[in-house]
Amino acid sequence: MVTKTDIGLKNFFIFNSTITAKEGEELKKILYYYPITDHADVQIRNVGLVEGIINFTETFKPSSPVNSLHTSNSRQLYFQPEKDFWIVMTLHLTNQSKSKDGLNNIEQTLEDDIQDNVYEALLKQSYYVFRLFWNTFKSYKDIDALKVKLEKFFNPYLKCLNLAHADILDIFNGIQYLPLDKNTFLKVQCFVNHLESSYPEISHTAFLYNDHLIWSGIEPEDMQTIYQYLIGTLLPANVETELQGGSMPRNASSPFMALRHGRFITGPTNLKLAKTMGELPKLYLFGGAKSVEYYFVVYRALSATVCFFIKADTVLTLDFFKQLDELVSPKLISLVTEIAEYCSKQIVSPSVLPDAAPKFIYFNKLNLAYKSTVHLDNKHTGNLACSKESMRIMADIQEKTGLLGKSNETILKTMNDYWIVGKCSNSRQFYIALQQKNASLIEISDEIKKLCDSELKGIFFHPV
Amino acid sequence: MSDNIEIDPGAARESGLVTTDSFDNLERMSSSLDEIKSTNAISQSEESNDNANIEQLDESTNYVKDSTEENEIEVSREWTSKSKHIFVLSQAGKPIYSRYGNEDKLAWLFGVMQTLVSFVQSSDDTIKSIHAGDTHFVFLIKKPLILVAVHKTQESEQQIVTQLNYVFNQITSILTLTRLKKIYEQRQNYDLRRLLTGVERLIDHLLDFSEKDPSFFLGAVQCLPLTSSVRDSISSAIIAACNKIKNLVFAILLANNKLITLVRMKKYCLHPADLHLIFNLVQASESLKNSESWTPLCLPKFDASGFLYGHVSYLAEDCQACLLLLTVDRDVFFTLSEAKQRIVERLRRGNSLEAINEALVSSDANWNGAGFPELRHYIYKSKSTAQFYQPPIGPPYSLRPRRLIDVYKRSHQRLHSSTRPLKLAFERSASEAVLAWDTRGFELYATFEPLTSTAAIIASVGKLLDWVKKREDKLFCLNAPTF
Repeated sequence: MVTKTDIGLKNFFIFNSTITAKEGEELKKILYYYPITDHADVQIRNVGLVEGIINFTETFKPSSPVNSLHTSNSRQLYFQPEKDFWIVMTLHLTNQSKSKDGLNNIEQTLEDDIQDNVYEALLKQSYYVFRLFWNTFKSYKDIDALKVKLEKFFNPYLKCLNLAHADILDIFNGIQYLPLDKNTFLKVQCFVNHLESSYPEISHTAFLYNDHLIWSGIEPEDMQTIYQYLIGTLLPANVETELQGGSMPRNASSPFMALRHGRFITGPTNLKLAKTMGELPKLYLFGGAKSVEYYFVVYRALSATVCFFIKADTVLTLDFFKQLDELVSPKLISLVTEIAEYCSKQIVSPSVLPDAAPKFIYFNKLNLAYKSTVHLDNKHTGNLACSKESMRIMADIQEKTGLLGKSNETILKTMNDYWIVGKCSNSRQFYIALQQKNASLIEISDEIKKLCDSELKGIFFHPV
Repeated sequence: MSDNIEIDPGAARESGLVTTDSFDNLERMSSSLDEIKSTNAISQSEESNDNANIEQLDESTNYVKDSTEENEIEVSREWTSKSKHIFVLSQAGKPIYSRYGNEDKLAWLFGVMQTLVSFVQSSDDTIKSIHAGDTHFVFLIKKPLILVAVHKTQESEQQIVTQLNYVFNQITSILTLTRLKKIYEQRQNYDLRRLLTGVERLIDHLLDFSEKDPSFFLGAVQCLPLTSSVRDSISSAIIAACNKIKNLVFAILLANNKLITLVRMKKYCLHPADLHLIFNLVQASESLKNSESWTPLCLPKFDASGFLYGHVSYLAEDCQACLLLLTVDRDVFFTLSEAKQRIVERLRRGNSLEAINEALVSSDANWNGAGFPELRHYIYKSKSTAQFYQPPIGPPYSLRPRRLIDVYKRSHQRLHSSTRPLKLAFERSASEAVLAWDTRGFELYATFEPLTSTAAIIASVGKLLDWVKKREDKLFCLNAPTF
């Protein structure tokens, strides 16, 4: 009866108080403000409150700058990515929702659905994606140029911000890796090495199969953001149909029909007709001490995606792309066929698993790898194998694991008799949702042991 | 439901304490006092006396000039590293209480807090909390006051709000809510500290008390273990001495922060939150030990609009249990003093004083020998009586009992989260394994050796419940006697 309402974005702004201290010039501090429909006075007021809160909290020497403000009607999250630059996101907590007859308005409070750790992660992601394409805020000597770039980036970005389906995975912001046998993995590495030695212009390479990463030559922190961008934005736009099956082809033939020959997704996308190089995105990697600018060339064949990172000062020609294509295409296609064969042998399609089987999320902080049988696809659309409530409880557990030392275990039984388990050891985190009513604590802990043995072979969990 | 009561240890059909969730906002105002007064036809003239003080308020205008202080204050490292600051201010931003540091020197900070509150209020919203790394700022707006906690502890916002509510209630218990509101209606800028001299000490004590005692987050009271025959004979001694006295609402006997018995007027129950304030008053006032005292006391949960009057005294030189006789009559000190003498005589004759003394010194250390090798400590709360039992805290927590309390607070907050409550929470870390279990009749929190298997834990818990059941009439006040 009550229409499900989504968490709404109230405002989103970026400011730097050091730009001006003069009264009457407050508007100058604001580098970006959404929505533009907010009157200038309202903008100044909102920034003023944030400044007040920053100063007030600093009085008590907290371990980190202010993270969030909770009020009855809204939640405000703060992130200071660079000195004096603050990004602020405010979310509505209450929404008017109408019952079917439209007579009674029901005020719905979303307060505890908004978990700070989840939405803080979203806020940080937005900055890292901006930085990936437009470099740091500080790198702009001209404030107006920065304002233009912020506008250009955040206007569309905020429209696509997936507030309703954010969950614990956003906290991890992890990467899905594809485990291969030694032989196949070596072949991938040979392929990458061969390319990099044939074309010294190519500084780094990353290799993906469907939405799984097999090889990356860049720092994990950079790869994290690029991975999200690839999986979340670039690839779906290009190969929607191909990705649908995930890494586990449901009907064997379709994914392999898509592309018989590889092509560039960025750069000259159609080499035969191309007269110019097309649009070639640049991005900034921060793995080293300072940012380095690269061309971002993405090539796709069958279910594989290869990313080339080429120094931005390199002169690129159409010929270069043609040669590269000739070298890559045949090799890649045979390699992908081999990977696909290996995968089809290894992976059990999720539809085979019974519904009551435990669903889990695994995250390794050391290599940022994650695996989830809770999420049925990679698209953040809320297509989940367990309830949203369970997801939130996992995020609750995650929030507290820091208090429990390096290795710990939490087992919770919810009001409707589901069990949610969190396990941390060796920088690995493992979250399980078990839908076994009437189970006892003893049975659940046995079940977890079994699951760790079958799913996480070779990972040592400390006894505590 | 009824068979459940039979089974759960410590359960009883009737309770002298209001059973409650610990997190309710203490908002409800009852009018118990008026009821009692009108049924017993007390003259209404007393009200005018209550107002006498307020009329004098306007005389003084010399409050501290805060503008000049602004630059003088140096917020020291020691001050900022305190694990929990508590501030109380008026809606106008006047300092009333600061747990650490001098309020006058911190006037600027109170100003900032008031500004934040009113700034958010101006857009029809209410500020609740701010989070910055390890430091959390919790705001509680209870007209006419604003209470703020700045803490670096791991307590939840709910638990902090509960604590702030206690501070508010402590202030109300001195002034009554009616008077507090009236003061600010008449003068927004009033400096309340002038009426609260001596109360800082009570608040200080309350804060320390509520941080180290589980009764506050559990919303329950611990009883002094006594065999039921002894407890009953104590209750009947009190009843025999007092049942002729009109308007006596509660007789409370307590020792060492534990309840011995509570005798009440029919129909009226005492809320654990009010009882905690009484415990705090008794514990914080050394002077009570020396003589009988007569003190007005407002119990905000019972009736926030007016005072009860309490005859407070320790039983005897050789028995350090404190007896409170609470009445609505303001001038019956001598009647109650006589009643107390009669109670003590009867108790002495019945050898109850010795029994109380024995219970006070016996540390109950032998529980560990009862066959729970891996169980370190536990808390059992009987929901239907709002009472709990815990054995004395032993190793490895003897030196840092606060650590154990923190563990229990975390478990309690997991079970009782406002939106995602749980039935059971088990957590295992390198330091301990903790099982928290919420059922219809009881809550159990048990701490084990870290490597105890879940099978052993479940077996222990089963045994433990049997053990508590066997001793329930000793550990809990199962009767709720009335005058």
